[in-house]
Amino acid sequence: MLTLYHWEPNANSGKPMLALAEKGVEYQSHYLDLLNFDQHKPEYLRINPDGTIPAMVHDEKILTESTPMMEYVDETFEGPPLRPGDPKERWRMRWWMRFFDAYFAPSLSMIGWSVFVGPAVRNRDRAQLEAAIGRIPLESRRIAWRKAMFNEFSESELTESRRRVAFATGVLEQHLTTHPWVAGNTFSLADINGFNLGYALPLSQPERCNDEKTPHIMEWLRKIYERPATQATWKKGRTPMAQRVTVLQRKA
Amino acid sequence: MIELYHWEPNIYFFKPLIALKEVRAPFTSRYFDPTSFEQCSASFPQSTESALNLEREGPLLVDGVTVLSGSFFILEYIAEAFPAASLYPADPYERYRARSWGQLIALQLAPAVCALGCARYLAPALAARDAQQLKARIARIEPLERRAAWTAVLDGSYDEKTLAAVRERLQMPIKRLEDALGKSAWLAGAQYSLADIDAFAMLSPLTELAPQLVNAAMTPRITRFLERMRERPAVQQALTLARTSQPQQAFVPGAEPSRWG
Repeated sequence: MLTLYHWEPNANSGKPMLALAEKGVEYQSHYLDLLNFDQHKPEYLRINPDGTIPAMVHDEKILTESTPMMEYVDETFEGPPLRPGDPKERWRMRWWMRFFDAYFAPSLSMIGWSVFVGPAVRNRDRAQLEAAIGRIPLESRRIAWRKAMFNEFSESELTESRRRVAFATGVLEQHLTTHPWVAGNTFSLADINGFNLGYALPLSQPERCNDEKTPHIMEWLRKIYERPATQATWKKGRTPMAQRVTVLQRKA
Repeated sequence: MIELYHWEPNIYFFKPLIALKEVRAPFTSRYFDPTSFEQCSASFPQSTESALNLEREGPLLVDGVTVLSGSFFILEYIAEAFPAASLYPADPYERYRARSWGQLIALQLAPAVCALGCARYLAPALAARDAQQLKARIARIEPLERRAAWTAVLDGSYDEKTLAAVRERLQMPIKRLEDALGKSAWLAGAQYSLADIDAFAMLSPLTELAPQLVNAAMTPRITRFLERMRERPAVQQALTLARTSQPQQAFVPGAEPSRWG
């Protein structure tokens, strides 16, 4: 039996959700509300003491890192291959997943946290918020939540994040000009990873990501959006954040 | 034939050298000195990925027309190209663990190790060179983050407060590695794997750079792990590719620490 603890189909949670759907693997979905701090509650900390999401439990094995988790899914279960057969394309898949995870996503999410996550929780009782921060196991996550909740991202941090988002968008557009999929000729986990990062770019970064400036990113996002696995996965979203994916619907 | 562009057998450059020796793959060694910036010249192997490499300066493996970068991903490529050598664990969950270690070492351990190494060895070496020429050369490096990494070393932004913060950041990955080595013989499980090569290359310099954190009393398992690794023929063979007498003092700026704190 496979259980996935996740929030919305988005960012790190969405990666294994979409990988499992693409692979055709049934799983028990355990929804955690990030904005309600479900991931810091004792019952979840028993699964993942770090209090980060997603987490996967498969036959008593626990997995907590979303990118290696996707490779585990592809290696363990029957279904269409989600990694290229060609070793050089595999290398490219892994290189770009790290670029997404460690360069593009952290900058994009810093902006998202400052404009969305923070305001979503800020109106709550201050003492309650402090108590919530106190329950977060990892120091780096405590720092992140505190900054988001109390709007403590500095202007220079946000400016740098915006610069990196602009730069990375340009890099990805250039790459997709010469490669149909991120790894090359094959749809792979790198596209699943990139989609979870970028599906809402046309909404959150409209001046940078649109049909005129980034036609290849737009076409790539639309192709992935149209896949049955993506449609099924995003239907599991419960919030307007996941609803943003409909921006990728082709106009009639 | 595979070409490996590498520097001294230390940190990022050590990893594929050890792996290629473990799998006994023939390869052409292309030694380069990243502190001379020859890797930034037009004649050096390039790719979109190598230019954007989050490690900044690292080994390149050239196979045919493809230029592979990212030291852990190069290890995976070697493991897949030579499956008989079993550098990849056979079990998918152990492979998951190996990849998770690769991620932790890249994002949490390596930035701190490189910072300490640059403070002690690279910064003084750069300070002894012609400042004008060096600044002019660094000013031409792209992209911005790669240039900034070198500028930071040149500017000597390594006061004691900064270094104390760097050592603080080392504590979590060191503790995780020490705990893990108490639960299984090697990092991914019962078998030696690419995760051990990856961890060794980054942990090894710490016995000199941070002896208060990595030593027989504080980290007996890591200490024993380092001894076992140093005894391996592949590690010793990789060390013969050193051109200096102190390969463990060769550092490049490395990846930046997480911007989220």
